[in-house]
Amino acid sequence: MLQKYKRLWSKKSLKSSYDAVIIGGGVHGLATAYYLAKNHGMHNIAVLEKKYLGFGSSGRNTAIVRANQRTSENVCLYQEGLKLWPELTSELDFNLMFFNCGNLNLAHSESAISALRLQVTTAQFHGMKTKLIDAKECKEMIPALDISDRLRYPIFGAMYHPPGGTVRHDALVWGLAKGASQLGVHIHQKTEATGIGIEKERIAYVQTNKGKIFTPRVLNVAGPYSTLIAAMIDLRLPIHALTIQAMVTEPLKPVLNYVVSSGAYHCYANQSLKGEIVSGSHMDPWPNYTTQTTAHYIKHQAEALTELMPCLKGVKLMRAWGGLADMTPDMAPIIDGNDPIQGFFQNCGWGYFGFKSAPVTGKYMAQFMATDQCPSILKPFTMRRYENHNLMGEIATPVYYNPWN
Amino acid sequence: MSLLITCPICGKRNGYEFKFGGEDRGPKPNEDELTSRKWCEYTHMNTNIGGIQKEWWYHRDGCNTWFTIYRNTLTNEEVQNHKEVAP
Ligand SMILES: Cc1cc2nc3c(=O)[nH]c(=O)nc-3n(C[C@H](O)[C@H](O)[C@H](O)COP(=O)(O)OP(=O)(O)OC[C@H]3O[C@@H](n4cnc5c(N)ncnc54)[C@H](O)[C@@H]3O)c2cc1C
Ligand SMILES: [Zn+2]
Repeated sequence: MLQKYKRLWSKKSLKSSYDAVIIGGGVHGLATAYYLAKNHGMHNIAVLEKKYLGFGSSGRNTAIVRANQRTSENVCLYQEGLKLWPELTSELDFNLMFFNCGNLNLAHSESAISALRLQVTTAQFHGMKTKLIDAKECKEMIPALDISDRLRYPIFGAMYHPPGGTVRHDALVWGLAKGASQLGVHIHQKTEATGIGIEKERIAYVQTNKGKIFTPRVLNVAGPYSTLIAAMIDLRLPIHALTIQAMVTEPLKPVLNYVVSSGAYHCYANQSLKGEIVSGSHMDPWPNYTTQTTAHYIKHQAEALTELMPCLKGVKLMRAWGGLADMTPDMAPIIDGNDPIQGFFQNCGWGYFGFKSAPVTGKYMAQFMATDQCPSILKPFTMRRYENHNLMGEIATPVYYNPWN
Repeated sequence: MSLLITCPICGKRNGYEFKFGGEDRGPKPNEDELTSRKWCEYTHMNTNIGGIQKEWWYHRDGCNTWFTIYRNTLTNEEVQNHKEVAP
């Protein structure tokens, strides 16, 4: 039945002070606001968004969720994140469209299989269903895959992760905004943080295009723009903001029942519930703050997709778009607080993993901000790990050093 | 729109021919006084200017030269004859 249109979140006027100011209206900022109000009784909270909710990567990602990362620290967090989807769907009374179709990570060499073996072991150790399968099993699951040796990089096998899948990304943004707003959180769109005031080593206020807000706590969750927020207090971050491009084909009858990804082809794809093949690719490897798309990647994507699944030849791409990913050297986020400035918290550097992790991280980030004690699940993500030479082993290749340093 | 970069030897070429080499960090820190902190600042931390920055590029699919250019990170365009202002 059609109902009268109702606003999901209410519009409030900007107050001159809040108990906490959250900079960034993406999934991480909204989740933190929601849990601050819900779990910690902090209702006097503002979320500032310079454009509109979901303008950042939260509204541009390909919405894949999974918990089969390489290191234990990461798996624990993503594992709890995966369990939250059904819970959140009923709690927010908003259909997040969690589609638990499972993920297949293709391997195109013996060494790739060995690398996946490590991931499978970590996942199994934590009780996450994940296993290695051979090329024939891949073909049985996805008949459209070409497992012959015609491919430039033939398929050797895959890591199969049944608990993963996709979630509707816009729904998460809107659901969390609705939930937070109902608990009294103020959501201010078109409100840009332009400066942060510090007094006696503590956060004192946030300057915005709509006036000054006094507050003892600030959370930097501006996604790829977090580097620019940190710069407001002269903090440098080990982050590069890189463009990722994604695209969708015209809708097709069901042909791809899993999320499939291939590192060698720099390509991943799944079929949306509407029938479109949603596909993302590698990143433009130079930092910038634009969301430009290029013919280069559309061509790359078309080549990769039709090589892996030849039946897609001739299918039309309908739309392409770009979003930014805040990449750290060890492919793990930076989560910190009260260091070096009291009251300054940050949760950024999520790269292309930050959608699946948002509700769970928001929950623990809220605990951190409310109690000033970092929950142990978040402790490994401190920024100090870089100066302590204690980087996370999320990537199989060594950290990026330049020839000239 | 794609990025165009001017190689000092080959001229203006498609950005995808090059490898980005990081923002210009100045000379390597003096090893005698090197602390973990300073090394981390030098190797991992970025200034991430939203605007014009000086940066290194390598002409990977070309003449194999390393060189610096100025580029506006907000528009993704190379900036010619940029005058640096002393900080
Ligand atoms: C193409 C693409 C595909 C991806 N695919 C996946 C995927 O399949 N699975 C997955 O888990 N992750 C994926 N990601 C990554 C994921 O989307 C991000 O990590 C996540 O959305 C980050 O959320 P966030 O809330 O931290 O940041 P964002 O959603 O980027 O939100 C930050 C917000 O801050 C606002 N802002 C910036 N500056 C200011 C300011 N000065 N004042 C006020 N507001 C400001 C911005 O407008 C923006 O809305 C993908 C990303 C991209 C780009
Ligand atoms: Zn050249």
